[in-house]
Amino acid sequence: MKTELLIVGAGAAGIAAALAAWEAGCRDILLVDRRERPGGILPQCLHEGFGLAAYGAELTGPAYADRITERLAQTGVRLALGTEVLAVRGDKTAVLSGRGGLSEWRFERLILASGCRERSIGSLPVAGTRPAGIFTAGQAQEMMNLRGQDVGREVLILGSGDLGLIMARQLVLAGKHVIAVIEQGPRCGGMARNYRRCIEPYQIPLRCRTTVSALHGERRLRGVTLRNLDSGAEELLPCDTLVTALGLIPERELVRGLGDPDWLSYVGNCHRVHDLADSAAAEAEAIGTRVGGELAV
Amino acid sequence: MREFDVVVIGGGLLGCFAARNLCRRKLHIALIEAREDVCTGVSRANTAIVYPGYDHKPGSLKAEMTVRANTRFAELCTELDVPFSRCGSLMLSCGERADAVLREKYRNGLSMAVPGLRLLSGEEARELEPSLAPGVRSALYAPTAGTVNPWELGIAASENAAANGADLFLNTRVLGVRKTAEGYRIETDREVFACRAVLNCAGLYADKVQETLFPSEVHIVPDGADYLILDRVTDNRPAHIIQYEPEDGGKGFNAVPTVEGSLLLGPSERAGEVDFAVSEQGLAFVRERAEFVLPGLDLGGTIRSFAAVRPNPRREDGSSIGSFVIEHPAPGFWSMIGIKTPGLTCADELGRFAAEQAAAFLNAGPDESFDPRRRGIRKARGMSWEQRAAVIRSDPDYGEVVCCCEDITKAEVLEAVRRGAVTLDGIKRRTGACMGRCQGSRCQQKLLALLARELGIPESAVTKDGAGSEVLGGRPHED
Repeated sequence: MKTELLIVGAGAAGIAAALAAWEAGCRDILLVDRRERPGGILPQCLHEGFGLAAYGAELTGPAYADRITERLAQTGVRLALGTEVLAVRGDKTAVLSGRGGLSEWRFERLILASGCRERSIGSLPVAGTRPAGIFTAGQAQEMMNLRGQDVGREVLILGSGDLGLIMARQLVLAGKHVIAVIEQGPRCGGMARNYRRCIEPYQIPLRCRTTVSALHGERRLRGVTLRNLDSGAEELLPCDTLVTALGLIPERELVRGLGDPDWLSYVGNCHRVHDLADSAAAEAEAIGTRVGGELAV
Repeated sequence: MREFDVVVIGGGLLGCFAARNLCRRKLHIALIEAREDVCTGVSRANTAIVYPGYDHKPGSLKAEMTVRANTRFAELCTELDVPFSRCGSLMLSCGERADAVLREKYRNGLSMAVPGLRLLSGEEARELEPSLAPGVRSALYAPTAGTVNPWELGIAASENAAANGADLFLNTRVLGVRKTAEGYRIETDREVFACRAVLNCAGLYADKVQETLFPSEVHIVPDGADYLILDRVTDNRPAHIIQYEPEDGGKGFNAVPTVEGSLLLGPSERAGEVDFAVSEQGLAFVRERAEFVLPGLDLGGTIRSFAAVRPNPRREDGSSIGSFVIEHPAPGFWSMIGIKTPGLTCADELGRFAAEQAAAFLNAGPDESFDPRRRGIRKARGMSWEQRAAVIRSDPDYGEVVCCCEDITKAEVLEAVRRGAVTLDGIKRRTGACMGRCQGSRCQQKLLALLARELGIPESAVTKDGAGSEVLGGRPHED
């Protein structure tokens, strides 16, 4: 099968790129995503703060996703959900897998909008056991907001990036005890706006220059050892859940080893990590317009 | 009371292979495991090396078994449909003392007829493995060394034993063994088993199980060891198993390119910790060794660290025992106590050895219907596109990728549950899901929902690895 433009990832950036490429005149676009609904991580982001730049309103993630999905529906962009891109090859072909079967696509241009993955605690030299009850922040967010899964009661958050701050607030609002947010650096890692909105009003302690040095509990997490990175002092902190916000890694494994071919563009968080969906979308729009324009000629 | 000819206590690698080999005879066999799944104790974590057989004293049981096991390993893995990579190994020396160690191992290997051994110069070793440190001055190359996934092998053996008629009793903890006129009576926390012979393969607890009936001359003093796993895309990943013999005579180091594609580094060594807890010093040791031996390795690609527990056999006076210990305190009772390296390599040989003893004691003839073959879960990963398209046509669940890091489909997960996975770790061990670079942060929640649905239990009852490790809801109420 053939498509002029293949876009991998139907999140804020992928959809923005698709809309812009369509506007620019490209009429043969295939937008694929492994999830069953469009919007990438937007549907799990129940907090407000999306769309300020693009729509002049503070929308929730799902509302923002609805707006861009509605716009997408008015174009002829083909959307393939529940579809995994298994391979992208140097001869400008890709292999897609879904419940309907395996398909091979020949494309002219590829826009990668595959977002990020979260750094997991496995990458840190943490001692102790490997019990249940440890989640990444995005994972916890998906579990709570899309799956109705309850992550735990006594929660410690490791990492004060925006995702960590947002999850701290959400857990408090869900009736959980957020014991503290732990930050290795000297100050809060997330945006000031998120600190003011998510941490201050709930009097959640933010402990800087601190890390988790060991995990305890044979089966379920029972506590962690906290270490002050300046004094080296350690303390045992009981908790049953650890939510980690250790940073985002642009997800580009699909095109690893392909070098830097002229038919490949990166947009959104797989290009560089953006603070806001709006800025990821704006970047994607610019690239979508250019690529779409070139294909339209 | 349930009656069997032979009861195997312990569903680790050894117990599973003992049960498998007992099935070669006309015997009614039970395999009893305390946990909810097989291979959850010592077998769940080790260095994953299939050794060539030069490490042990020529003529010893260990040396003979290891060489024989290595020779048969590819065939074993074909029978059980388990991936085996005969990638070869390089044991490295950076000085005179280690040079001498390598020469001795080379001579041992030659006298044991280990195939293909070669002593290499540092340059020759770097030709085979360009990422080796410049300080490497000699190496012992063993082309027959390989690697296998230990739990995949053990699970395969348990499935093969069950298919050949062995009865598997999970969640059944042995409380004690009693002698009876007819043989033995095994009391568990669920029911009582009567049998004519016992194979005690209780791993870390093998001495304790024996001591419920007989004294044990051997005691297990567990020690822990730490490992790191690097992502499959790590630059300068060695193609061979790298083993480093340090000049100071200290603990060696291994880098193993696993069958899954990751790189396993370790172990560290430390005494007296039995709770599978990782030690910070151990991790630092492994990192330091890795940086020294393979300086081009990016340890930033670390995706997981874990600890293993090893059952060290010790005599009453505390002295350690180098050989495999198979105690036979009374007719019809055998204990494998403190089987450690190369227990993975020799699992089938040890199982066969113990099974043959029991069969001879019981005068059991061969069971002609024994089928050594087992089919593994069909993996989408590694199929040609044509094959993959075909399996999706016959089962759409093969089209749905659940674990995107490791390319594991829903069909494989469902099959794992059908084959006995009752925990998230059970799925992981049977399919490889959650073993990749995101360590399950993108798929664990999906697997949890799938597992709950398939088992017909609420999501809140799904565990990581058995009761008490519920993934949802926080600390269990009874705490």
